Amino acid sequence: MIAEAGPVLKVQNIRKRYGKHEILKGISLELNKGDIKCVVGPSGSGKSTLLHCINFLVQFDEGRIWMNGEEIDNHSKQALYVFRQKVGMIFQDFNLFDHLTALRNVQIALVRVKKMSKTAARRRALAELERVGMKDHVKKYPAELSGGQKQRVSIARALAMDPEVMLLDEPTSALDPELIGEVHSVIRDLASGGMTMILVTHEFGFAGALAKEILFMEEGVILEQGPPEKILSNAECERTREFCGKINRLHEGTG
Amino acid sequence: MSQGLTAIVEGLPYILPGIGVTMSVVAGALSMGLLLGLILSVLQVYGTRPIRRLVGIYVWFFRGIPLLVLLFLFYFGILASLQIELSPFTVSVIVLGLISSAYQSQILRGAILSLPEGQLKAARAIGMSDSKAIGFIILPQALRLAIPGWTNEYTIIMKDSAVTYALGVAEIMARCNHVASRTYQHFWLYILAGLIFLALTYIGTKIFHFVEEKVAIKGYAR
Repeated sequence: MIAEAGPVLKVQNIRKRYGKHEILKGISLELNKGDIKCVVGPSGSGKSTLLHCINFLVQFDEGRIWMNGEEIDNHSKQALYVFRQKVGMIFQDFNLFDHLTALRNVQIALVRVKKMSKTAARRRALAELERVGMKDHVKKYPAELSGGQKQRVSIARALAMDPEVMLLDEPTSALDPELIGEVHSVIRDLASGGMTMILVTHEFGFAGALAKEILFMEEGVILEQGPPEKILSNAECERTREFCGKINRLHEGTG
Repeated sequence: MSQGLTAIVEGLPYILPGIGVTMSVVAGALSMGLLLGLILSVLQVYGTRPIRRLVGIYVWFFRGIPLLVLLFLFYFGILASLQIELSPFTVSVIVLGLISSAYQSQILRGAILSLPEGQLKAARAIGMSDSKAIGFIILPQALRLAIPGWTNEYTIIMKDSAVTYALGVAEIMARCNHVASRTYQHFWLYILAGLIFLALTYIGTKIFHFVEEKVAIKGYAR
Protein backbone atom coordinates (compact mmCIF):
# COMPACT_ATOMS: atom_id res chain seq x y z
CA MET A 1 0.00 0.00 0.00
CA ILE A 2 1.15 3.49 -0.78
CA ALA A 3 1.09 5.82 2.18
CA GLU A 4 -1.83 8.21 2.28
CA ALA A 5 -0.50 11.48 1.01
CA GLY A 6 -3.22 13.96 1.83
CA PRO A 7 -6.55 14.39 0.08
CA VAL A 8 -7.05 13.37 -3.55
CA LEU A 9 -9.44 16.25 -4.00
CA LYS A 10 -9.71 19.37 -1.94
CA VAL A 11 -12.34 22.01 -2.52
CA GLN A 12 -12.14 25.27 -0.63
CA ASN A 13 -14.72 27.97 -0.19
CA ILE A 14 -16.53 27.71 -3.50
CA ARG A 15 -18.91 30.54 -4.16
CA LYS A 16 -21.20 30.91 -7.13
CA ARG A 17 -23.87 33.43 -7.83
CA TYR A 18 -26.33 33.79 -10.67
CA GLY A 19 -27.26 37.44 -10.75
CA LYS A 20 -28.35 38.37 -7.27
CA HIS A 21 -28.95 34.84 -6.15
CA GLU A 22 -26.06 33.15 -4.45
CA ILE A 23 -26.25 29.42 -5.24
CA LEU A 24 -23.13 28.33 -3.38
CA LYS A 25 -22.10 30.24 -0.29
CA GLY A 26 -18.63 28.99 0.37
CA ILE A 27 -18.49 25.20 0.14
CA SER A 28 -15.41 23.30 1.28
CA LEU A 29 -14.76 19.58 1.31
CA GLU A 30 -11.97 17.07 1.12
CA LEU A 31 -11.84 13.58 -0.28
CA ASN A 32 -9.18 11.08 0.64
CA LYS A 33 -8.46 8.13 -1.56
CA GLY A 34 -11.39 5.71 -1.45
CA ASP A 35 -13.70 8.16 0.29
CA ILE A 36 -17.33 8.17 -0.68
CA LYS A 37 -19.34 11.20 0.26
CA CYS A 38 -23.00 11.62 -0.47
CA VAL A 39 -24.61 15.01 -0.82
CA VAL A 40 -28.30 15.20 0.02
CA GLY A 41 -30.68 18.09 0.31
CA PRO A 42 -33.72 19.70 -1.27
CA SER A 43 -33.90 20.71 -4.93
CA GLY A 44 -32.29 24.05 -5.60
CA SER A 45 -29.91 23.71 -2.69
CA GLY A 46 -26.92 23.85 -5.05
CA LYS A 47 -25.87 20.17 -4.98
CA SER A 48 -25.74 19.81 -8.71
CA THR A 49 -24.09 23.19 -9.23
CA LEU A 50 -21.44 22.16 -6.71
CA LEU A 51 -20.52 19.07 -8.73
CA HIS A 52 -20.45 21.11 -11.92
CA CYS A 53 -18.18 23.66 -10.26
CA ILE A 54 -15.80 21.00 -8.99
CA ASN A 55 -15.31 19.87 -12.58
CA PHE A 56 -15.12 23.50 -13.82
CA LEU A 57 -18.11 22.87 -16.06
CA VAL A 58 -19.63 25.86 -14.33
CA GLN A 59 -17.35 28.82 -13.67
CA PHE A 60 -17.44 29.79 -10.02
CA ASP A 61 -16.80 33.24 -8.60
CA GLU A 62 -14.56 32.34 -5.71
CA GLY A 63 -12.84 29.27 -4.41
CA ARG A 64 -9.89 26.98 -5.03
CA ILE A 65 -9.54 23.34 -5.95
CA TRP A 66 -6.59 21.01 -5.48
CA MET A 67 -5.98 17.56 -6.83
CA ASN A 68 -3.31 15.49 -5.09
CA GLY A 69 -1.98 18.64 -3.48
CA GLU A 70 -1.69 20.56 -6.71
CA GLU A 71 -3.93 23.55 -7.23
CA ILE A 72 -5.87 23.68 -10.48
CA ASP A 73 -5.23 26.88 -12.37
CA ASN A 74 -8.60 27.71 -13.86
CA HIS A 75 -7.08 30.30 -16.17
CA SER A 76 -5.19 27.61 -18.02
CA LYS A 77 -7.47 25.75 -20.41
CA GLN A 78 -4.85 23.04 -20.76
CA ALA A 79 -4.83 22.49 -17.00
CA LEU A 80 -8.61 22.15 -17.02
CA TYR A 81 -8.53 19.59 -19.84
CA VAL A 82 -6.01 17.50 -17.93
CA PHE A 83 -7.91 17.84 -14.65
CA ARG A 84 -11.23 16.86 -16.21
CA GLN A 85 -9.70 13.70 -17.61
CA LYS A 86 -9.00 12.63 -14.03
CA VAL A 87 -12.49 13.46 -12.81
CA GLY A 88 -15.27 11.24 -14.10
CA MET A 89 -18.64 12.93 -14.30
CA ILE A 90 -21.96 11.13 -14.38
CA PHE A 91 -24.98 13.21 -15.29
CA GLN A 92 -28.58 12.86 -14.28
CA ASP A 93 -29.68 12.69 -17.91
CA PHE A 94 -26.72 10.56 -19.10
CA ASN A 95 -25.60 12.87 -21.90
CA LEU A 96 -24.38 10.09 -24.12
CA PHE A 97 -23.26 11.30 -27.53
CA ASP A 98 -26.38 10.64 -29.56
CA HIS A 99 -24.64 10.08 -32.89
CA LEU A 100 -22.27 7.40 -31.61
CA THR A 101 -22.80 3.76 -30.66
CA ALA A 102 -22.25 2.67 -27.08
CA LEU A 103 -18.80 1.44 -28.05
CA ARG A 104 -17.84 4.67 -29.81
CA ASN A 105 -19.17 6.71 -26.90
CA VAL A 106 -16.60 5.05 -24.66
CA GLN A 107 -13.90 4.90 -27.30
CA ILE A 108 -13.93 8.46 -28.58
CA ALA A 109 -12.16 10.21 -25.72
CA LEU A 110 -9.54 7.47 -25.59
CA VAL A 111 -8.71 8.14 -29.25
CA ARG A 112 -9.23 11.90 -29.40
CA VAL A 113 -8.07 12.94 -25.93
CA LYS A 114 -5.75 10.20 -24.73
CA LYS A 115 -4.43 9.61 -28.25
CA MET A 116 -4.66 5.85 -27.94
CA SER A 117 -4.64 3.78 -31.13
CA LYS A 118 -8.09 2.81 -32.39
CA THR A 119 -7.53 -0.87 -31.64
CA ALA A 120 -6.24 -0.30 -28.12
CA ALA A 121 -9.07 2.14 -27.44
CA ARG A 122 -11.58 -0.35 -28.76
CA ARG A 123 -10.22 -3.09 -26.53
CA ARG A 124 -10.34 -0.83 -23.51
CA ALA A 125 -13.84 0.40 -24.33
CA LEU A 126 -15.11 -3.16 -24.69
CA ALA A 127 -13.58 -4.08 -21.34
CA GLU A 128 -15.27 -1.14 -19.62
CA LEU A 129 -18.60 -1.91 -21.23
CA GLU A 130 -18.30 -5.49 -20.08
CA ARG A 131 -17.55 -4.27 -16.57
CA VAL A 132 -20.90 -2.45 -16.46
CA GLY A 133 -22.74 -5.37 -18.02
CA MET A 134 -23.25 -3.79 -21.43
CA LYS A 135 -21.24 -6.21 -23.50
CA ASP A 136 -24.23 -7.32 -25.56
CA HIS A 137 -25.25 -3.80 -26.52
CA VAL A 138 -22.00 -2.23 -27.72
CA LYS A 139 -23.26 -1.68 -31.28
CA LYS A 140 -26.44 0.08 -30.21
CA TYR A 141 -27.04 3.81 -30.40
CA PRO A 142 -28.21 5.71 -27.30
CA ALA A 143 -31.72 6.01 -28.70
CA GLU A 144 -31.92 2.21 -28.77
CA LEU A 145 -30.99 1.82 -25.09
CA SER A 146 -33.06 2.02 -21.91
CA GLY A 147 -32.28 4.69 -19.34
CA GLY A 148 -30.46 2.27 -17.10
CA GLN A 149 -28.38 1.01 -20.01
CA LYS A 150 -27.54 4.55 -21.06
CA GLN A 151 -26.38 5.39 -17.58
CA ARG A 152 -24.21 2.28 -17.45
CA VAL A 153 -22.61 3.25 -20.77
CA SER A 154 -21.95 6.72 -19.41
CA ILE A 155 -20.27 5.18 -16.38
CA ALA A 156 -18.13 3.04 -18.68
CA ARG A 157 -17.25 6.17 -20.65
CA ALA A 158 -16.04 7.87 -17.48
CA LEU A 159 -14.19 4.80 -16.20
CA ALA A 160 -12.27 4.39 -19.45
CA MET A 161 -10.43 7.60 -18.66
CA ASP A 162 -9.03 6.10 -15.42
CA PRO A 163 -10.49 8.82 -13.22
CA GLU A 164 -9.14 9.41 -9.74
CA VAL A 165 -12.45 10.82 -8.58
CA MET A 166 -15.99 10.27 -9.80
CA LEU A 167 -18.73 12.87 -9.46
CA LEU A 168 -22.20 11.39 -9.75
CA ASP A 169 -25.04 13.86 -10.13
CA GLU A 170 -28.27 12.05 -9.24
CA PRO A 171 -27.37 9.11 -11.47
CA THR A 172 -30.69 7.33 -11.00
CA SER A 173 -33.22 10.10 -10.61
CA ALA A 174 -34.20 10.07 -14.30
CA LEU A 175 -34.73 6.31 -14.30
CA ASP A 176 -37.78 4.11 -14.03
CA PRO A 177 -37.83 2.49 -10.59
CA GLU A 178 -37.23 -0.89 -12.22
CA LEU A 179 -33.97 0.27 -13.75
CA ILE A 180 -32.44 1.89 -10.68
CA GLY A 181 -31.11 -1.39 -9.34
CA GLU A 182 -28.81 -2.12 -12.28
CA VAL A 183 -27.16 1.29 -11.99
CA HIS A 184 -26.88 1.03 -8.21
CA SER A 185 -25.16 -2.30 -8.52
CA VAL A 186 -22.57 -0.81 -10.90
CA ILE A 187 -21.93 2.04 -8.47
CA ARG A 188 -21.65 -0.44 -5.61
CA ASP A 189 -19.03 -2.34 -7.59
CA LEU A 190 -17.08 0.87 -8.06
CA ALA A 191 -17.24 1.53 -4.35
CA SER A 192 -15.97 -1.88 -3.44
CA GLY A 193 -13.19 -1.38 -5.98
CA GLY A 194 -12.07 1.61 -3.92
CA MET A 195 -13.22 4.42 -6.21
CA THR A 196 -13.23 7.87 -4.67
CA MET A 197 -16.65 9.40 -5.23
CA ILE A 198 -19.01 12.25 -4.54
CA LEU A 199 -22.60 11.17 -5.05
CA VAL A 200 -25.55 13.51 -5.14
CA THR A 201 -28.69 11.50 -4.54
CA HIS A 202 -32.13 11.31 -3.02
CA GLU A 203 -31.85 7.56 -2.48
CA PHE A 204 -31.19 7.54 1.24
CA GLY A 205 -31.01 3.81 1.65
CA PHE A 206 -28.41 3.55 -1.05
CA ALA A 207 -26.46 6.56 0.22
CA GLY A 208 -26.50 5.24 3.78
CA ALA A 209 -25.16 1.85 2.78
CA LEU A 210 -22.46 3.29 0.54
CA ALA A 211 -21.10 6.46 2.06
CA LYS A 212 -18.79 7.08 4.93
CA GLU A 213 -20.11 10.57 5.22
CA ILE A 214 -23.31 12.34 4.30
CA LEU A 215 -23.40 16.06 3.63
CA PHE A 216 -26.71 17.82 4.01
CA MET A 217 -26.91 20.89 1.84
CA GLU A 218 -29.45 23.65 1.82
CA GLU A 219 -29.45 27.10 0.20
CA GLY A 220 -25.85 26.87 -0.82
CA VAL A 221 -24.31 25.81 2.46
CA ILE A 222 -23.47 22.47 4.02
CA LEU A 223 -25.75 22.58 7.07
CA GLU A 224 -24.49 19.40 8.61
CA GLN A 225 -22.21 16.52 7.83
CA GLY A 226 -21.40 13.23 9.45
CA PRO A 227 -21.78 9.48 9.26
CA PRO A 228 -24.99 8.26 7.61
CA GLU A 229 -26.59 6.81 10.74
CA LYS A 230 -26.35 10.21 12.35
CA ILE A 231 -27.42 12.48 9.49
CA LEU A 232 -30.15 10.32 8.06
CA SER A 233 -31.95 9.40 11.26
CA ASN A 234 -30.51 11.35 14.16
CA ALA A 235 -29.33 14.74 12.95
CA GLU A 236 -28.45 17.56 15.30
CA CYS A 237 -29.75 20.29 13.06
CA GLU A 238 -33.50 20.55 13.06
CA ARG A 239 -33.77 21.34 9.36
CA THR A 240 -31.71 18.25 8.51
CA ARG A 241 -33.95 16.12 10.74
CA GLU A 242 -37.05 17.50 9.13
CA PHE A 243 -35.83 16.89 5.56
CA CYS A 244 -34.44 13.45 6.25
CA GLY A 245 -37.52 12.49 8.22
CA LYS A 246 -39.75 13.37 5.28
CA ILE A 247 -37.69 11.36 2.83
CA ASN A 248 -37.46 8.40 5.18
CA ARG A 249 -41.22 8.37 5.70
CA LEU A 250 -41.73 8.62 1.96
CA HIS A 251 -39.62 5.53 1.42
CA GLU A 252 -41.28 3.61 4.22
CA GLY A 253 -44.62 4.55 2.70
CA THR A 254 -43.73 3.26 -0.74
CA GLY A 255 -41.52 0.40 0.26
CA MET B 1 -47.10 25.17 -81.55
CA SER B 2 -45.13 23.14 -84.04
CA GLN B 3 -42.91 26.15 -84.54
CA GLY B 4 -42.38 26.27 -80.79
CA LEU B 5 -41.45 22.60 -80.70
CA THR B 6 -39.12 23.03 -83.61
CA ALA B 7 -37.42 25.92 -81.83
CA ILE B 8 -37.02 23.79 -78.73
CA VAL B 9 -35.71 20.74 -80.57
CA GLU B 10 -33.29 22.80 -82.62
CA GLY B 11 -32.27 24.84 -79.61
CA LEU B 12 -31.69 21.92 -77.27
CA PRO B 13 -28.12 21.06 -78.31
CA TYR B 14 -27.25 24.65 -77.46
CA ILE B 15 -29.40 24.89 -74.33
CA LEU B 16 -28.56 21.61 -72.59
CA PRO B 17 -24.89 22.42 -71.87
CA GLY B 18 -26.34 25.31 -69.86
CA ILE B 19 -27.40 22.72 -67.27
CA GLY B 20 -23.73 21.97 -66.66
CA VAL B 21 -22.99 25.67 -66.22
CA THR B 22 -25.94 26.17 -63.86
CA MET B 23 -24.95 23.10 -61.85
CA SER B 24 -21.36 24.32 -61.60
CA VAL B 25 -22.47 27.72 -60.33
CA VAL B 26 -24.80 26.07 -57.80
CA ALA B 27 -22.27 23.47 -56.66
CA GLY B 28 -19.54 26.10 -56.32
CA ALA B 29 -21.76 28.53 -54.42
CA LEU B 30 -23.17 25.86 -52.10
CA SER B 31 -19.74 24.47 -51.24
CA MET B 32 -18.28 27.88 -50.65
CA GLY B 33 -21.35 28.79 -48.62
CA LEU B 34 -21.01 25.62 -46.57
CA LEU B 35 -17.36 26.16 -45.76
CA LEU B 36 -17.85 29.81 -44.80
CA GLY B 37 -21.21 29.14 -43.16
CA LEU B 38 -19.70 26.44 -40.99
CA ILE B 39 -17.00 28.79 -39.72
CA LEU B 40 -19.47 31.64 -39.27
CA SER B 41 -21.97 29.52 -37.35
CA VAL B 42 -19.35 28.24 -34.92
CA LEU B 43 -18.05 31.78 -34.43
CA GLN B 44 -21.54 33.09 -33.86
CA VAL B 45 -22.46 30.44 -31.31
CA TYR B 46 -19.18 30.10 -29.42
CA GLY B 47 -17.35 33.34 -30.21
CA THR B 48 -16.80 36.31 -27.95
CA ARG B 49 -19.28 39.15 -28.08
CA PRO B 50 -17.35 41.31 -30.62
CA ILE B 51 -16.94 38.28 -32.89
CA ARG B 52 -20.61 37.42 -32.63
CA ARG B 53 -21.45 40.99 -33.54
CA LEU B 54 -19.16 40.94 -36.58
CA VAL B 55 -20.79 37.75 -37.81
CA GLY B 56 -24.16 39.38 -37.24
CA ILE B 57 -23.16 42.33 -39.43
CA TYR B 58 -21.90 39.99 -42.16
CA VAL B 59 -25.16 38.05 -42.16
CA TRP B 60 -27.22 41.23 -42.14
CA PHE B 61 -25.25 42.58 -45.11
CA PHE B 62 -25.43 39.53 -47.36
CA ARG B 63 -29.01 38.66 -46.51
CA GLY B 64 -30.21 42.21 -46.93
CA ILE B 65 -29.01 43.18 -50.41
CA PRO B 66 -30.62 41.76 -53.56
CA LEU B 67 -28.51 39.31 -55.54
CA LEU B 68 -28.63 41.42 -58.68
CA VAL B 69 -27.37 44.49 -56.84
CA LEU B 70 -24.48 42.51 -55.33
CA LEU B 71 -23.57 40.95 -58.67
CA PHE B 72 -23.42 44.35 -60.39
CA LEU B 73 -21.67 45.92 -57.42
CA PHE B 74 -18.94 43.28 -57.49
CA TYR B 75 -18.57 42.94 -61.22
CA PHE B 76 -19.01 46.47 -62.49
CA GLY B 77 -18.18 48.30 -59.28
CA ILE B 78 -15.51 46.78 -57.09
CA LEU B 79 -13.65 44.62 -59.59
CA ALA B 80 -13.69 47.31 -62.26
CA SER B 81 -12.38 50.02 -59.96
CA LEU B 82 -9.67 47.73 -58.58
CA GLN B 83 -8.91 46.67 -62.16
CA ILE B 84 -9.16 43.01 -61.25
CA GLU B 85 -10.31 40.74 -64.05
CA LEU B 86 -12.52 37.84 -63.12
CA SER B 87 -14.91 35.98 -65.37
CA PRO B 88 -18.65 36.49 -64.88
CA PHE B 89 -18.80 32.82 -63.89
CA THR B 90 -16.27 33.25 -61.08
CA VAL B 91 -17.92 36.41 -59.82
CA SER B 92 -21.30 34.66 -59.83
CA VAL B 93 -19.99 31.75 -57.79
CA ILE B 94 -18.33 34.08 -55.29
CA VAL B 95 -21.33 36.38 -54.85
CA LEU B 96 -23.84 33.51 -54.61
CA GLY B 97 -21.42 31.73 -52.24
CA LEU B 98 -21.17 34.76 -49.96
CA ILE B 99 -24.94 35.15 -49.85
CA SER B 100 -25.42 31.44 -49.27
CA SER B 101 -22.85 31.45 -46.48
CA ALA B 102 -24.96 33.99 -44.62
CA TYR B 103 -28.04 31.77 -44.92
CA GLN B 104 -26.19 28.53 -44.26
CA SER B 105 -24.58 29.98 -41.14
CA GLN B 106 -28.06 30.56 -39.75
CA ILE B 107 -29.25 27.07 -40.72
CA LEU B 108 -26.28 25.60 -38.88
CA ARG B 109 -26.54 27.96 -35.95
CA GLY B 110 -30.11 26.81 -35.44
CA ALA B 111 -29.00 23.19 -35.64
CA ILE B 112 -26.20 23.70 -33.11
CA LEU B 113 -28.49 25.52 -30.70
CA SER B 114 -31.11 22.79 -30.94
CA LEU B 115 -28.70 20.19 -29.53
CA PRO B 116 -29.07 19.50 -25.81
CA GLU B 117 -26.45 21.48 -23.87
CA GLY B 118 -25.48 18.26 -22.11
CA GLN B 119 -23.65 17.14 -25.26
CA LEU B 120 -21.04 19.86 -24.93
CA LYS B 121 -20.88 19.40 -21.17
CA ALA B 122 -20.27 15.68 -21.45
CA ALA B 123 -17.56 16.25 -24.07
CA ARG B 124 -15.83 18.74 -21.81
CA ALA B 125 -16.24 16.43 -18.82
CA ILE B 126 -14.15 13.73 -20.49
CA GLY B 127 -11.36 16.22 -21.11
CA MET B 128 -12.09 17.37 -24.66
CA SER B 129 -10.99 20.85 -25.58
CA ASP B 130 -13.73 23.06 -26.96
CA SER B 131 -12.49 22.65 -30.51
CA LYS B 132 -12.48 18.85 -30.20
CA ALA B 133 -15.92 18.89 -28.62
CA ILE B 134 -17.25 21.03 -31.46
CA GLY B 135 -15.51 19.00 -34.15
CA PHE B 136 -16.27 15.49 -32.92
CA ILE B 137 -19.48 15.86 -30.93
CA ILE B 138 -21.39 19.00 -31.87
CA LEU B 139 -20.90 19.40 -35.62
CA PRO B 140 -21.50 15.76 -36.61
CA GLN B 141 -24.91 16.05 -34.99
CA ALA B 142 -25.64 19.59 -36.13
CA LEU B 143 -24.76 18.78 -39.75
CA ARG B 144 -27.35 16.01 -39.76
CA LEU B 145 -30.00 18.33 -38.37
CA ALA B 146 -29.11 20.95 -40.98
CA ILE B 147 -29.94 18.76 -43.99
CA PRO B 148 -33.63 19.76 -44.29
CA GLY B 149 -32.56 23.41 -44.19
CA TRP B 150 -29.93 22.76 -46.81
CA THR B 151 -32.46 21.14 -49.11
CA ASN B 152 -34.29 24.42 -49.02
CA GLU B 153 -31.09 26.40 -49.53
CA TYR B 154 -30.23 24.27 -52.56
CA THR B 155 -33.52 25.04 -54.28
CA ILE B 156 -33.14 28.75 -53.56
CA ILE B 157 -29.60 28.95 -54.91
CA MET B 158 -30.62 26.88 -57.92
CA LYS B 159 -33.30 29.39 -58.81
CA ASP B 160 -31.19 32.41 -57.94
CA SER B 161 -28.47 31.20 -60.26
CA ALA B 162 -30.68 32.25 -63.17
CA VAL B 163 -29.98 35.86 -62.24
CA THR B 164 -26.32 35.43 -63.19
CA TYR B 165 -27.61 35.63 -66.75
CA ALA B 166 -27.44 39.37 -66.20
CA LEU B 167 -23.64 39.17 -66.09
CA GLY B 168 -23.60 37.04 -69.23
CA VAL B 169 -23.02 33.65 -67.65
CA ALA B 170 -24.13 31.11 -70.26
CA GLU B 171 -26.43 29.17 -67.99
CA ILE B 172 -29.89 27.75 -68.72
CA MET B 173 -31.83 31.00 -68.66
CA ALA B 174 -29.27 32.84 -70.80
CA ARG B 175 -29.30 30.12 -73.44
CA CYS B 176 -33.10 29.82 -73.52
CA ASN B 177 -33.35 33.57 -73.85
CA HIS B 178 -30.84 33.55 -76.65
CA VAL B 179 -32.77 30.94 -78.62
CA ALA B 180 -36.05 32.75 -77.87
CA SER B 181 -34.88 36.04 -79.29
CA ARG B 182 -33.63 34.33 -82.43
CA THR B 183 -36.78 32.26 -83.03
CA TYR B 184 -39.38 34.54 -81.42
CA GLN B 185 -40.74 31.50 -79.55
CA HIS B 186 -40.41 33.10 -76.12
CA PHE B 187 -43.37 31.29 -74.61
CA TRP B 188 -42.04 27.83 -75.42
CA LEU B 189 -38.47 28.51 -74.47
CA TYR B 190 -39.33 30.01 -71.11
CA ILE B 191 -41.51 26.98 -70.45
CA LEU B 192 -38.51 24.85 -71.30
CA ALA B 193 -36.32 26.88 -68.92
CA GLY B 194 -38.92 26.47 -66.18
CA LEU B 195 -39.16 22.74 -66.75
CA ILE B 196 -35.39 22.30 -66.61
CA PHE B 197 -35.23 24.16 -63.28
CA LEU B 198 -38.17 22.13 -61.97
CA ALA B 199 -36.37 18.93 -62.89
CA LEU B 200 -33.11 20.08 -61.30
CA THR B 201 -34.72 21.12 -58.03
CA TYR B 202 -36.70 17.87 -57.99
CA ILE B 203 -33.66 15.68 -58.49
CA GLY B 204 -31.66 17.72 -56.00
CA THR B 205 -34.24 17.51 -53.23
CA LYS B 206 -34.54 13.74 -53.83
CA ILE B 207 -30.79 13.40 -53.38
CA PHE B 208 -30.87 15.48 -50.18
CA HIS B 209 -33.71 13.35 -48.80
CA PHE B 210 -31.75 10.22 -49.63
CA VAL B 211 -28.69 11.53 -47.82
CA GLU B 212 -30.85 12.62 -44.89
CA GLU B 213 -32.16 9.09 -44.44
CA LYS B 214 -28.77 7.54 -45.09
CA VAL B 215 -27.02 9.44 -42.28
CA ALA B 216 -29.94 9.41 -39.84
CA ILE B 217 -28.98 8.20 -36.37
CA LYS B 218 -30.49 4.81 -35.63
CA GLY B 219 -33.49 4.85 -33.35
CA TYR B 220 -33.28 8.61 -33.12
CA ALA B 221 -36.75 9.97 -33.74
CA ARG B 222 -37.74 13.56 -33.19
